[in-house]
Amino acid sequence: MKPTLKIKSIILVLLIIIITGSRTRLEAQTQNATDSALSDRIAALELQSNYSRAGDDHLLVIGLATFGWVSTKTTNTIDGVSSVSRSNSFPDADHFEFSPMFLWRHGTKFLMEFEPSFSNNGLGINWADISYFAAPNLIIRAGYLVVPFGTYSKRLAAGWINKLTTDPMGISEMAPTDYGIEVEGGLPLGSMKMNYNFSLTNSNLLNSDGTLSSGSMGDVNSNKTFTGRLGILPLSNSSLELGVSGMFGKVGTPGTAFQNAKGTAYAFDLNYVNTFSPLLINIKAQYNIKNISDVNYISPVDSVTAYTFTNHSTAAFIQCSLRPTTANNFLHDMELAGRYTTYNSPSNSTWGSNQSSYTIGLNYWLSWRSALRLSYESYTGNSTASKALNAYTGKTISNSWYIQFAIQL
Amino acid sequence: MKKLQPIQTLSLVLIFIFSITGILSLNSCAPTSAISAKSGVQLWGENCQRCHNTPSPMTFSPQQWETIGMHMQTRALLTQDEKDKIVGFLKSSR
Repeated sequence: MKPTLKIKSIILVLLIIIITGSRTRLEAQTQNATDSALSDRIAALELQSNYSRAGDDHLLVIGLATFGWVSTKTTNTIDGVSSVSRSNSFPDADHFEFSPMFLWRHGTKFLMEFEPSFSNNGLGINWADISYFAAPNLIIRAGYLVVPFGTYSKRLAAGWINKLTTDPMGISEMAPTDYGIEVEGGLPLGSMKMNYNFSLTNSNLLNSDGTLSSGSMGDVNSNKTFTGRLGILPLSNSSLELGVSGMFGKVGTPGTAFQNAKGTAYAFDLNYVNTFSPLLINIKAQYNIKNISDVNYISPVDSVTAYTFTNHSTAAFIQCSLRPTTANNFLHDMELAGRYTTYNSPSNSTWGSNQSSYTIGLNYWLSWRSALRLSYESYTGNSTASKALNAYTGKTISNSWYIQFAIQL
Repeated sequence: MKKLQPIQTLSLVLIFIFSITGILSLNSCAPTSAISAKSGVQLWGENCQRCHNTPSPMTFSPQQWETIGMHMQTRALLTQDEKDKIVGFLKSSR
C-alpha cells in the first residue's frame, strides 16, 4: 500500500470513529432528555392522580385536646350579707375539651371541615361546612359555620392557640355558629393586604328574657342575618391587622310580640405580632357592641305584667404576651401572658351585670403545638339585674388558679 | 315568605353587583415587587405566628400540608400566592 493511501485510510477510519462517537453521544443526550421529560411527566401525572384520588392523604384528622384543673374561691355579697364558697375541679368549663377535626380535601377546589367537640358541656358540633375555592382569593363556603364577627372565635379560641386557660367573657357569645353561606378571601393591595368575609345565615332568635340564640336548622322567621368583616394589614410584614365587623338582621319570631325586633352588632379587632429582639410581642384586642330593639317582655314573677329594658351589651378584651426569642432553650420555651376583660350586659333585665377580670398566665411550650399553662384570674361581677324581677344577684368576687395541658392533635 | 318590594330587590341586586365588582377590582391590584419577591420561608415566619407558633415542616406529609394549607387559607385569609409559597416551603423542607 502506498503511504498516501495509508494516510487516507487512517483519516477515513478516524472520521468514521468520530462520526459514530458523536452520533452515540447525541443519541445518549437525546435519550437523557427523553428520560428526563418522561420522568417529569410521570411525576406530574402522579401528583395529578394523588389530587383526584380519595384516600388517607386526603382525609386528615387533626384537632385539639385540653385538660385542666381549677381551684376557685368565690365571695358573693348581697344586701350586706356575704357567703364564701370554694371549689377544686378537674374537668371544669373551658378547661376540658376533646375536639377531633376532620379535613377532607377533594382535589384542589373542595375542602370539607367537620369538628365535633366533647367537653363538660356535652357533645356538640363546632362547625361542619364545605368550602369551594372558586378562584384565587375567593372562597365560597356553605354549611354550619362560625359567622365572621371579630376574629377571636374563628382564629384564637382553640385551646392550644389561646394564650390563657379561659376565654374572654362575652366575646364568643356574640359570634354565633349558624347555618348559611359565606364568601371570603385575602387580597394583595400593593405593599398592604386586606381580607373580606361575608355571611348570610338563618337568623338569630330573641328569647323570652332578651338573650339571643342561634343555630336553628329551620328558617323560623324567614329573615336572614347578614354578617361581614373587613380586615386590613397595613404593614408589609403582615404584623398588624385591624378589622371591623357588622351583624344585622331581624331577630323576632313572627306572631310573637318580638316579631319586629331587630338586632345590630359591631366589632373592632386588632392583632399585632412582631419581634423586638430578644422578645416576641403579641397583642390581641377586640371590642363588641350589641343592640336589640326595645320590646316588652313577660315578667317572670307575674305572667300578666310586661317589663322592658335597654338591650345593649358590650364586651372587650386586650391581651399581651411576651416570649424570649434568643434566650437559652428553657427560657425560649416560656411565654408570659396577661389579659383584661370587661363585659357589660343590660341593666334592669333578668341577667344584667357589669363584669371584669384580670388574668395572667405562664406558658411552657413543650412543642410548637403543645403547652403546659399556669394561670391566675381575678373576677369581679356587679349584678345590674332587676330587683323587681327578683333577679338581682349582688356582687361576686372570685379568684381562681388554673393548670392546663393543651395540645393540637 | 314575605315578598320583597321592587326597590328592595333592586337594592340587593345592585349591592351584589357592586360587591363582586369591588372584589374583582381589588383582586386585580398587583402586590409590589418587594411583596412578590417574598419567599415561602419568609411568609411562613410572618403569617403563621399571627395566630400560633410557626409549625415544624416535619409535622405533616407533603400531601397533608396541601390540606392544611387550604384549611389555613380559610382561617387566616391568606392570599393564594402566600398559601402556595408557604405550602411549597413546608413540603420542600421536610
